[in-house]
Amino acid sequence: MSLFVAAFGFGLVSMSVIALAAVGFTMQFGITNMINLAYGEVMIASAYVAYYIDQTGISIWVAMIGGAIFGAVFSFLINRFIYAPFMRKGTANLGMVIVSLAVSLMIANLLLPIVGYYSVSYRERFGSIVRLGSVVLTVNQMLIIALAVVVMLAIHALLRYTRLGKAMRATAANPTLARSSGIPTQRVIDIVWLITGALCGLAGTVAGLDSETFAIASGAGFLITALAAAVLGGAGQPYGAMVGAVVIGMVTELSAAAWSPDYKQVVAFGILVVVMVLRPQGLLAKRGALAAAG
Amino acid sequence: MNTFRARMRFGQAAISTLAVVVLAACGGSNTPSGGGLGSGDLLVGVLAPFSGTDAGLGPAYYAACLAAAPSINSNGGVGGRQVKCQQFDTRGEPADAAPAANQMIASNSNLMAVVGCTSDEASAVAPIVDKAHVPMFCMTGQTEFNKTKLTYFHRLVPADIYDAYAMVGSALYGPGHSPYGRIALVFGDDIGSQAFVDPATNALKKLGKTVQNFPIHLGSSTFRTEVTNMLNFKPDVIFTEALGSAGTYLGEVKSLNGNKMIPFIGTSATIDPVWFQDVSQAIGVNDLVQYYGGVDLGYTFSGPAYDEFLTNLNAAASVFPKAPTYKQRGSTLHLYDGIIMTALAMIATNSSDPKVYNPKIKEIANGVSGAQVVTTYKDGVAALHAGKSIRFVGAGGENFFDQYNNSQSGYILVKYDAQGNEVTVAQLTPEQTKTISDAGGI
Repeated sequence: MSLFVAAFGFGLVSMSVIALAAVGFTMQFGITNMINLAYGEVMIASAYVAYYIDQTGISIWVAMIGGAIFGAVFSFLINRFIYAPFMRKGTANLGMVIVSLAVSLMIANLLLPIVGYYSVSYRERFGSIVRLGSVVLTVNQMLIIALAVVVMLAIHALLRYTRLGKAMRATAANPTLARSSGIPTQRVIDIVWLITGALCGLAGTVAGLDSETFAIASGAGFLITALAAAVLGGAGQPYGAMVGAVVIGMVTELSAAAWSPDYKQVVAFGILVVVMVLRPQGLLAKRGALAAAG
Repeated sequence: MNTFRARMRFGQAAISTLAVVVLAACGGSNTPSGGGLGSGDLLVGVLAPFSGTDAGLGPAYYAACLAAAPSINSNGGVGGRQVKCQQFDTRGEPADAAPAANQMIASNSNLMAVVGCTSDEASAVAPIVDKAHVPMFCMTGQTEFNKTKLTYFHRLVPADIYDAYAMVGSALYGPGHSPYGRIALVFGDDIGSQAFVDPATNALKKLGKTVQNFPIHLGSSTFRTEVTNMLNFKPDVIFTEALGSAGTYLGEVKSLNGNKMIPFIGTSATIDPVWFQDVSQAIGVNDLVQYYGGVDLGYTFSGPAYDEFLTNLNAAASVFPKAPTYKQRGSTLHLYDGIIMTALAMIATNSSDPKVYNPKIKEIANGVSGAQVVTTYKDGVAALHAGKSIRFVGAGGENFFDQYNNSQSGYILVKYDAQGNEVTVAQLTPEQTKTISDAGGI
């Protein structure tokens, strides 16, 4: 029983990391209609930027901001100079997916000679342990959970209570109508790439911290988890991605406790498949902040 | 409705993407013509992961080729033909490896040998390379190759079962500790990694020890629940390999065990600069030096063969800066030897036809009665030109190929120093080895 309680605590950490990644990924799709398969590589590139800052002696919690800024600027530039020109030419959705896959491979192969294939770790990976009954968490893990909660609340506030959030929702629902209504949709999309890129960078750094070590090859794993949570919750729906993160994060940890760890991803992705069969639009489609009215 | 259509488009695009990702190519094979040594450059294909989770493996093999090529080329080449090295990236995935192997064979009629083919992809590529009649030296311990029928397959590293027994030997007879009583086995949940588990479990149980298997899914971003479960077993020692995930797993062991490590014993594959870096980053170099024990084949890291290997490896830094870090990597030494043995076999048979020179590789490795022992390519060529039979004992030491082209030699127990160099701490005696293998059931 104590293992299940411990796994529940670890599930809280996992879902926090996944939520940070999945919300940014799903917002990119929801507002820009772009399935960005380079998301995982931007995460890992940002994690390395934070690592190099961390190595200068600056706390990882400060270096994380550097990772987020890099993620924001890098994502913005990728969209502005690669994705947007293809979209202007009317490239179909599948074509854009292939373009993003190509970008992903290019980033990975450009990074490899720079960072090498050796694993790296942040300096502050070992924190004091806090025991709450059978739940054992490090201070760093508790800070990750707190960070995720703050970021999710901030996303909620942004989408619900700000003019920018309303403009984002309008752009997501119907970009042509939004533009006709005077919303500068191009500027909105630029801002979306900056915000979601920052989330991507933040998520990459947090995932690197949570994993103890990370390497250039870690990006693919980050992407798959974020993609699964986003699809499970309802593609394009930030709240759906949050729910998806909870399900994926908890199920992977609890199933590892209940059965062999061999099955933890099988169970998580099995649930994803079942949900897709029963509810192809995802768990929270039409309820999320970016859902079309009616 | 628009939203629903968007979701459906998303789903369709995702499925199409997956289809693109898993596209596999097909290819052909080639058979170089025989008759003399021919002309033009010869190619050694380094068929291994250079990207993906096991991206750290390929460079060790590429370094071997970069060191072997000048040994051959600066001594007249292979009948005047220069040896070149080329990487063929398998990404560590059979689905990518098979097309890479086919492309390598279809595009290069001058392949003299293939090196690499790790446990990630050996099952997929070895039959392809064998069908093309190209000698290969694979870095896999998989059981399926213990009695392989692939005649062009060669293995200079031990089968996993021997590594498992050597780890048992380290736990029972290693210096600096009393025999461990409770052993946790932490290997990947794939078939290749689990090959260590059964022999180790059988041997340990019959020798009265308590052992439990805790498989992990390699590549996972965390193993917290798995580590907690393993720690509940209260092991005295952990047997592991977990290439690509060792840092994360062992870092979490330390973290969840109150920042205190548990002794751990690694396979011969953990004697590797990438593994050292991964784990030392995760748990700190002091804990790695203190708590790690490894098993390895009995290398001397000295003598004329090793000196030439080391000189060439250091010189290869101009092409591949990390090359010198592989100076004590067993697979780098062995593949270096494999390439030189292949070149000597070509000289000995005066043929560039693999059907002709492939059988000669085993003869040069094992030696025949009255064969002259040579340690460098230069000496080997001179002896062959003098009409003598030779036995090549290279940088990795002696080889003893069995009828399945598997070479096996004795084990040493090792540790790391703070710089990542291998330090020998003991050697398993024949009696100890026999006790374990009898218990394990060889």
